[in-house]
Amino acid sequence: MSELTETQVRALARSLGLPMTPDDAAEVTHRLNAFIEALAPLSDLPPGGPDPTPAPIDPDAA
Amino acid sequence: MLASRGVSLDPFLGAGHLAALVRAGQASPVELVRMYLERIDRLDGRLRAYITVTREAALDAARRAEQAAGRGGALGPLHGVPFAVKDQFATRGVRTTAGSRILADHVPDEDATVVARLVAAGGILLGKLNLTEFALGGTIRFPFGQPRNPWNTEHDTGGSSAGSGVAAAAALAAVTLGEDTGGSVRTPASWCGVAGHRPTWGLVSRHGCIPLSWSLDTAGPLGRTVEDCALVLEIIAGHDPRDPLTARRPVPAYRAALTGEVRGLRVGMIRELTHGGETDPEVRDAVVAATGVLGGLGARVDEVSVPLATRAGAAFMALCDSEGAARHLPWLRSRATDYDEGTRRRLLAASLLPAALLHSAQHARALIRQQLGDALATHDVLLAPTSHRAAPTIAAFTAPITSTGQAAARFFTRRSFTTPAALAGLPALAVPCGFDAAGLPLSLQVIGRRFEDATVLRVGHAYEQATAWHRRRPPLPTS
Repeated sequence: MSELTETQVRALARSLGLPMTPDDAAEVTHRLNAFIEALAPLSDLPPGGPDPTPAPIDPDAA
Repeated sequence: MLASRGVSLDPFLGAGHLAALVRAGQASPVELVRMYLERIDRLDGRLRAYITVTREAALDAARRAEQAAGRGGALGPLHGVPFAVKDQFATRGVRTTAGSRILADHVPDEDATVVARLVAAGGILLGKLNLTEFALGGTIRFPFGQPRNPWNTEHDTGGSSAGSGVAAAAALAAVTLGEDTGGSVRTPASWCGVAGHRPTWGLVSRHGCIPLSWSLDTAGPLGRTVEDCALVLEIIAGHDPRDPLTARRPVPAYRAALTGEVRGLRVGMIRELTHGGETDPEVRDAVVAATGVLGGLGARVDEVSVPLATRAGAAFMALCDSEGAARHLPWLRSRATDYDEGTRRRLLAASLLPAALLHSAQHARALIRQQLGDALATHDVLLAPTSHRAAPTIAAFTAPITSTGQAAARFFTRRSFTTPAALAGLPALAVPCGFDAAGLPLSLQVIGRRFEDATVLRVGHAYEQATAWHRRRPPLPTS
């Protein structure tokens, strides 16, 4: 996944109806690219393994 | 120090100690409340731990508590003891802001379950504590004042339960309650030099807690001792019909578990977090020394590997922030400028996160849970630094983000230390384990199996009692 540009980020925000100042756009671009850089390698993790449930299905489960 | 009925009252005495004095008729709840109000008046103009001080209500409650104590009969475990809660927990008739201008006038009509349980146990609510906006972390300009670290007021407190850490460390309440989504109890405990416990997810009700992430939010205590954390946990834990995801298991006697005995326990130090390149050498040395202390007490200590731990911060933020962004979408559209700019930018970034990355984060969460489960299959508890460094300066922590690398370092690195336990729903305790060369606190994290909070607290308490870090007091003005 390639890095996003500030123009692309502004366009994405506009499509969601999210107001964004120029300063917001610059920092949000850095933040989003940090996510991409950190999380993209996780897509190479071996598939399978435990089900990706957000929390134990049974709250009493140890 | 105040004298009450011939006994010297020290605001740094733990909640359990003060409760015992009240039960013995050696301390007056009214005098306790006045003692903490005097400290708040004197110190909180600078420290900004509190958003709201419930002065008159606390004094009224203290007078009732004093009369009840005078009548004899059974008293609750927190009877007459002043406590304070993060302003994320609903309080009937008292504004609950979540640290945001957006909720500046929000006055709930009922107490959160955890608040109700603390009051039912005899505790006296002193007020509502400051936090990063909506418990997200990364607030640049705090709407209700900049919280400051009692050990050095130019330094950050940690968040999101910033005021809970400050009030516990500066003795502006006997004990405090925070909420930990990904480290929000443990980080302020770490940076402010107190004990803080994130309970097993599902052990404590979330009813009345302004939510950030349903599968992560967990109320937890901060106090000057592990015993005070155990005392509060015993009160707030247990099934709540208004939170169907709370477990129905009986609540153990957490304080009774604090035997000081760790002989034979298997303790694993997480290699990637303790010896990783991001960990400050002073932190590493303090944690290694702490494992030596536990070894000296008879625990069997070795190293374990949790390979994905260093990815936990990014995975956590993707999951938590995207949920937060969904909750906040209407306000982000209609009241964007009412948010602090740090909060707004964090939520905006999460709103735009590609779905494929979100699913990768969810996959990583499951694998982190599995890796911690494997480590805990052969060990009773795991150890790690609570944070990779001592508290940074406020200026450094709020500087503008000007590069991708800076964003990753600011937001992901620190969280990789507290979020593994959060992502796995495990109990985790922060306990002071030293000071850096600048005199700022360092902290050991003890992580345990689900619902084995008693073991986590037992190990933390044994370490605490074998050391003297928790007895140091921040250099605050005395008059």
